[in-house]
Amino acid sequence: MGWSSQQSVRLHLEMEILSRYFPTFFLKDSIIPGHAVIEGSLRSNAGSEYVVRLHVPADLPNSVPIVEVVSPALRDRFGHSLIDLGTSYPMHLLKPENGVVRICHYSASHWSPNITFSKVLLKIRAWIEAYEGHLDSGYAIDHYLPHMEA
Amino acid sequence: MTPLVYVLEEQVRDLLSQTGDIRLVDGVAYGFDDWTVFHAYTGKPVSTPSGHICPCVAIRSDAAGFVDEESLMVQVRRRLDPDGLPIVVLIAGTGVGGSPSCRALILTDEGVAGADTRYVPRRSELFSRNTGLLETSALAEKKVVIVGLGSGGSPVALELARAGVGKFTLIDFDRLELGNISRHVCGVNDLGRYKTLAVRDQVLQKNPFAEVSTMEANVNQSLNQVEDVVAASDLLIVASDNDQSRFNLNQMSLNNNKVALYGRAITRAAGGDVLRVRPWKGPCYNCVFSSGLIDGREEELSQKRQALAVLPAYVEEDKINAMIQVGLSSDIAPIANMLTKMALVELSRGIETGMSTVDEDLVSDFYVWANRREEAYANWPRMGFKWTHPSILRWYAARVDRDPDCLVCGGHLEAEPAT
Ligand SMILES: [Zn+2]
Repeated sequence: MGWSSQQSVRLHLEMEILSRYFPTFFLKDSIIPGHAVIEGSLRSNAGSEYVVRLHVPADLPNSVPIVEVVSPALRDRFGHSLIDLGTSYPMHLLKPENGVVRICHYSASHWSPNITFSKVLLKIRAWIEAYEGHLDSGYAIDHYLPHMEA
Repeated sequence: MTPLVYVLEEQVRDLLSQTGDIRLVDGVAYGFDDWTVFHAYTGKPVSTPSGHICPCVAIRSDAAGFVDEESLMVQVRRRLDPDGLPIVVLIAGTGVGGSPSCRALILTDEGVAGADTRYVPRRSELFSRNTGLLETSALAEKKVVIVGLGSGGSPVALELARAGVGKFTLIDFDRLELGNISRHVCGVNDLGRYKTLAVRDQVLQKNPFAEVSTMEANVNQSLNQVEDVVAASDLLIVASDNDQSRFNLNQMSLNNNKVALYGRAITRAAGGDVLRVRPWKGPCYNCVFSSGLIDGREEELSQKRQALAVLPAYVEEDKINAMIQVGLSSDIAPIANMLTKMALVELSRGIETGMSTVDEDLVSDFYVWANRREEAYANWPRMGFKWTHPSILRWYAARVDRDPDCLVCGGHLEAEPAT
């Protein structure tokens, strides 16, 4: 089974919005739902590049997409790999898989099909600024980014 | 008292339709109340039986209607070692006018005693009291899908069975645990069982002729299978406890033009709401969710699994345990009841029934209920004697419109699917 017709329409819409706001992002589609990824780079205010991968959920748009920072390999101010932190509340991280950092952006209880990937990437963009703030100051990421009320 | 033996008319008919040599058939019986009442089966019971098990044998009388009781009893004693239990002996025959008849004897150490027999009637008699209010014959052909067989969904399944709805698909992957029992239609006898299978047995207790299929599956992981079931149904009832499954079911209801009803309790069951989605005609689940009228955060979290599913992965265990909020069964009951009424209205559409004036009243697609002046209803005035103010323990219709910007049913879609 490939994407349903509604999902194809939605995927098209997502890519159209991304082409406006995040033009480096492109779709690596798969006929298997849930195996498509959207990849591109985000540049921080300080000019650093981050390669970000968003996994298109099999039940698009009904669940939270997994978002990973593929490169560079992220370390905290003290030199520890962010992967080794595992699930981290202060750093807004989910359990990493396949050796890649996963960002906690929207929680399941805050998700709705009206949230587009563009909005998700905006949150990742904010996470990146907070991450760089952490590298400067040593404050945890949630010093810069408020958590969503559970 | 004379012992009373209940038998399924269908099983007696089956026995009588057998040809060939007359021989003893092994069945099973369940006794109650010091062996004064028995439920006897010549074959497999249709639903999970209760009572104390005891042996049962059945035989059909010969063409002349003759049975030599004395030799029969010798035969039975030779066949069975009752180990102190009574043996129910059924003798089926054809009565005047060709209708089946069945006699029952109870064989104990003390001897043989006659018993009164009663048939568990066929469909025509079971729901006779509802005739006129609901076209039970029409509802018997109606098929509902119920997702979520917890404290909300299980009473809806049972009420619909009582009303004569004949076909069910029950979907849930959860099992009954100790903590569920007080709010669930099933009891300790069903501990550890899949809720679907336990509720199926309860439905069959109300309507042995219902066709009940079950899916022990997570909707979010079995999208295609669930959508097939939705496509083949008349109505979708959603009493599941997570938003992701509701978003997925909403899409299925729209894809297949099936009316869906969504019911839920909010925090600590302080209240709840019921939403009807008429695909492409009214607001969809996402339209209402996005309007803020339904808020995922207010959802009642009654189980740890449910909390784990919606809370960020880094929330500590203590906090999760503190967030598990359990309302009373009586707080859930009004919401289940409203779901049932709305389901009966939808299923009765196009059929001449007593539900048509209710249909005229239920013009809104969204209804709100408050159990207590707490949480979202904390500022409501006390009920007192006023009819004109919002009050607990009453239903309120809310106007919700379809959102033209809804990314699920809104204008970005080129065309609505044809039915
Ligand atoms: Zn909508």
